[in-house]
Amino acid sequence: MDRARAEVDRDLLRRYHEQGDVGAREELVERHLPLVRSLARRFAGRGESLEDLEQVGAIGLIKAIDRFEMSREVALTSYATPNVVGEIKRHFRDRGSAIRIPRNLKELSAKLGKAMERLTALQGRSPTIAELATELDTTPEQVLEALEAGSARSTVSLSGGPDADDLDPMEVVGEEDTGYERAEDRASLEPAIGTLAERERDILRMRFEDGMTQSQIAERVGVSQMHVSRLIRKSIDQLRDELL
Amino acid sequence: MQPEAIELTLPAGREWHAVARLVLGGVADRLNLSFEDLDDLQLAVERLLVEAASQDTVMLQIDVVDHGVRVGVGPLAERTIADALQGPDAEPGELTLRRILQTVVDSFGVENTEGGIVVRLQKAVRGR
Repeated sequence: MDRARAEVDRDLLRRYHEQGDVGAREELVERHLPLVRSLARRFAGRGESLEDLEQVGAIGLIKAIDRFEMSREVALTSYATPNVVGEIKRHFRDRGSAIRIPRNLKELSAKLGKAMERLTALQGRSPTIAELATELDTTPEQVLEALEAGSARSTVSLSGGPDADDLDPMEVVGEEDTGYERAEDRASLEPAIGTLAERERDILRMRFEDGMTQSQIAERVGVSQMHVSRLIRKSIDQLRDELL
Repeated sequence: MQPEAIELTLPAGREWHAVARLVLGGVADRLNLSFEDLDDLQLAVERLLVEAASQDTVMLQIDVVDHGVRVGVGPLAERTIADALQGPDAEPGELTLRRILQTVVDSFGVENTEGGIVVRLQKAVRGR
């Protein structure tokens, strides 16, 4: 995140919250509309017009500006992103157009993690799709669908997952930066690594530097292999979104 | 022997990544790829699809090869990806697209085409 940009945001927030300067609020909205548009685009093609989604997202942005507490040591973009996404998701839920995952797939998805751990321990290796299907008395196609239905495997899922520790990636989607011109940086995720939580940083290091498998990481960290998979995806998405 | 290949052209938006994952999953099932290997391959393809986000469409060319699968992703209009993939290895503590692909697939390469670059990924089926 551009430090100078964050400082301008903070100055505008101070003017709005401490001096009641509504012009500063309007300027903040204008400055962050590109973020709203970027987030709205991720929900495009789901039966709602992009224009509507942008308007709904803008409401989330305004709420974030109004609720922002100056004592918080967080950039407005970081604070606003979940608000904007939340507003858009609420809109989908209210309109009933969010993806509905059939109950049987949700149940199967919930069983997959345990079956995966069981078979990995038994066989000393990661199971195949066919082995998972046999273990769960279902078809490989259903297993693949259930994997997909586990919301965190889908980068744009609108529904919560079946497990308490499932992460909805749209809740953690990164902020938009103004540095679109930094095309040469697009393949390097390094500058944003510091924004990740320690556990996520450790998992990325174990996987991409130490060459540990997901199963080995899962054992080390004490979570399921599927959860490691989700955390890796979530972290990489977050890093990339921090950069672009 | 009939060539075993799948060509899939899909819209480049993230909402279509699930379709790519499902197709890869179907191929992995037929090849007896483990879940972890499938997940790695899906991750590699997803990262490349993300790089195609500014395009209208992107194509996956999936070929079943001896003891594995080869996936071509492209053409990607953003040619800087080629430099990033062919550049130096990442430093410790650095995470690059090149480092990700080096970790999750057995080999990868970049092919220049008229419409952009095509990244070819290869993943082997491990012996059981």
